[in-house]
Amino acid sequence: MLGGFSVGKTSLVKRYVESIFSDSYLTTVGVKIDKKVEQLPDRVVSLVLWDLAGEDDIGSLRMSYLRGSAGYVLVADGTRRSTLQVALSLRERVEADYGAMPFVLLLNKSDLKEQWAINDAELEDLRHRGWWVRASSARTGEGVEDAFKDLAVRVTR
Amino acid sequence: MSTSTATLDWLLRLCPSDSAIDRKNLASLLAELACSVEPGLSKGDIPVRDPRLEQLRTLLFGREIEALSRLREVVENPEEFAAAVGRVLHGAIANASSDERLGPVLAPALERATQSSIRKDPGTLINVLYPLIVPAIRKSIGETVDETFQSLNETLKHSLSWRGLRWRWEAWRTGRSFAEVVLKHTLVYQVEHVFLIHRHTGLLIVHVAAKEATSQDPQLVSSMLAAIQDFVRDSFSGVRHQGLDTMQLGELRLWSEQGPFATLVAVIRGNPPETLHETLRAVLTSIHAERSRTLESFNGDSSGLGDVEAQLLECVALRQRAQRTTRRGFPWLVALIAGALLLAAGLWGLRSWEDARHWDRYISQLRTKPGIVITETGRRNGKFFVAGLRDPLAVDPQALLLGSKIDPRRVIASWASFQGLDPALVLERLRAQLQPPASVTLAVADGRVVATGTATPTWLARARSAGRLLPIGAPEFDLSAVRDVNDGPLSKLSDAIESRSIHFDYDEPLPPPGQNATLDQVAKELNELATLAASLGVRTRVTLTGHSDSTGRGTFNLSLSLARAEAVRALLKKRGVDPDLLAVRGAGPLEPLEVEASDAARSVNRRVSFTVGIGEQP
Repeated sequence: MLGGFSVGKTSLVKRYVESIFSDSYLTTVGVKIDKKVEQLPDRVVSLVLWDLAGEDDIGSLRMSYLRGSAGYVLVADGTRRSTLQVALSLRERVEADYGAMPFVLLLNKSDLKEQWAINDAELEDLRHRGWWVRASSARTGEGVEDAFKDLAVRVTR
Repeated sequence: MSTSTATLDWLLRLCPSDSAIDRKNLASLLAELACSVEPGLSKGDIPVRDPRLEQLRTLLFGREIEALSRLREVVENPEEFAAAVGRVLHGAIANASSDERLGPVLAPALERATQSSIRKDPGTLINVLYPLIVPAIRKSIGETVDETFQSLNETLKHSLSWRGLRWRWEAWRTGRSFAEVVLKHTLVYQVEHVFLIHRHTGLLIVHVAAKEATSQDPQLVSSMLAAIQDFVRDSFSGVRHQGLDTMQLGELRLWSEQGPFATLVAVIRGNPPETLHETLRAVLTSIHAERSRTLESFNGDSSGLGDVEAQLLECVALRQRAQRTTRRGFPWLVALIAGALLLAAGLWGLRSWEDARHWDRYISQLRTKPGIVITETGRRNGKFFVAGLRDPLAVDPQALLLGSKIDPRRVIASWASFQGLDPALVLERLRAQLQPPASVTLAVADGRVVATGTATPTWLARARSAGRLLPIGAPEFDLSAVRDVNDGPLSKLSDAIESRSIHFDYDEPLPPPGQNATLDQVAKELNELATLAASLGVRTRVTLTGHSDSTGRGTFNLSLSLARAEAVRALLKKRGVDPDLLAVRGAGPLEPLEVEASDAARSVNRRVSFTVGIGEQP
């Protein structure tokens, strides 16, 4: 789980799995790990989710936590444009260090429609690049299951 | 190498010398070709040595021959050939690296190369290996030192306790070192979980747990462990190639061993010996040796790693149980023995204290006794001793000991004799010397020895002389209160008795009835005398002397006088007088009372007279 500060990564993970470790790991070690077993049509996949502490300062990201990962979820806050930029630069950073790997981009907080700051044209543009982009809401659960499931399918492809 | 030799041979074969060309065959082939073009031509026209053949060959293969000769030059010129091989060598090796035979083939050459490099300059190789070897050596030394300290700590901790003594006994009995025995008993541990974690991804390869052990989802735990390893590595510089070896939380320890592709993490409860590091490392090394490929390309699918699981299960079986036997409840036997020992010590102490008390009491008692001077007292070899001076007449210390609750066998006494001047002792000495009659009482009064009562004149005389002979400084011997027996009622009574006499008729041995009143009187007085003498403690003896008159023969008179005395004694006895008090004798006519000038005088002489003797008791 990658994304800027306070975009809702932890909430998304919480929506998706029942955590066993406390959130304090994020502030101490900088990562919180959860697991979800996803039943795909042809196989069973265990997703081990590393929820990395969100920083708007990309330099402070512990890149070593991405070592060996099979894919990632990029999260931005749909009500704050800047977080999309953070997410995009995070993606660049990851690709530079670890090469291309499957990812999904979630624009979170889709329940706050009236504060939405990203227009559909922009999203279309991203989708044209072949990206899997969705609006999601950790509050309502919209788009969450799909995003993880899609990632599970793609990382095991 | 064999492949390259073969290629070379092949290349060389491509460029045979001219002589090797089958000219004959070539000529006939050309002739046949010519015939097919020009059927009229006869075969065999072309001579074998025809230079046109060579021309033809050049025409046909000129470029190839040129290429071959260039190749030949390259191959035959070592420098050029080396340069050519050098250009492709890395690629060739890279291609061949998937071939398992490459390693063994290269190994001897590499070994020789290494040897020669070391011979030439060991420094080069040292520099190369330094970053690898030093951390390994440091770690190994660190573990050894830890092990030593652990052993030392435990040894010190237990060297003086009761358990420590027991373990010393065990070490002595089993012939092992004390430290070894201490570690055996104190290092109680159990390997509860073993995680084999893929280093690159942090994914769990295999997890095994002891039967009773529980934990969170092993996959999450292993990821978290990997994260924490990364965290530590990232946070502190200088440990990039090392991992977190040990984590400890209460009695739970996490020991991890890093391999090239996988990390082995053991969760241990208790106090494991440092040597366990080595065991874990050995397991990890063996897993790497056997499944290196599988580990390297691990993608999250652990199926087919069952044998690795079996190896890890061996780790989980590692444990050292507490020595239950020694902790099963209260050590009653030890407590009983200790109690008995304490009781014995207590009793001994109490007895010793009581002994001392009794001894002190005895000694102070002795000190108060006259005639005893204590000069030294104490305890020696569990026995009491006392030394001093003792008057033979003083109390017997041995007798006093009998009443003191001290075993006389435990007392050594040494007494020197002396004569004491204490009034009590002087009294004792006088009493022993003078043997005073019952009528005399000796007592101490105002520092003097005072005698009271009545005594015979002889005793009095002896007593006075003894009193005079007492040494200077001795108490005075006061005899003034002793009366002479002769001065009292005794002498009056004896006078009265002696004034009596019993008269007889002529030639009669028995007194006439008229004498009965006198006999009664005498008997009464004699009884009084006996009583009085007894009370005064003097011995009395009354002699009855029979007399006759001078008429008749002498012998007859003598026997008659004795008969008369005997008769009176019998009569007195009849009147209650103790016959032992009475002695008889016959005096015949020899002790007349009056001169026999008349019958009256003769009648007076026929009598029995009384003599009272007073003396000291025998």
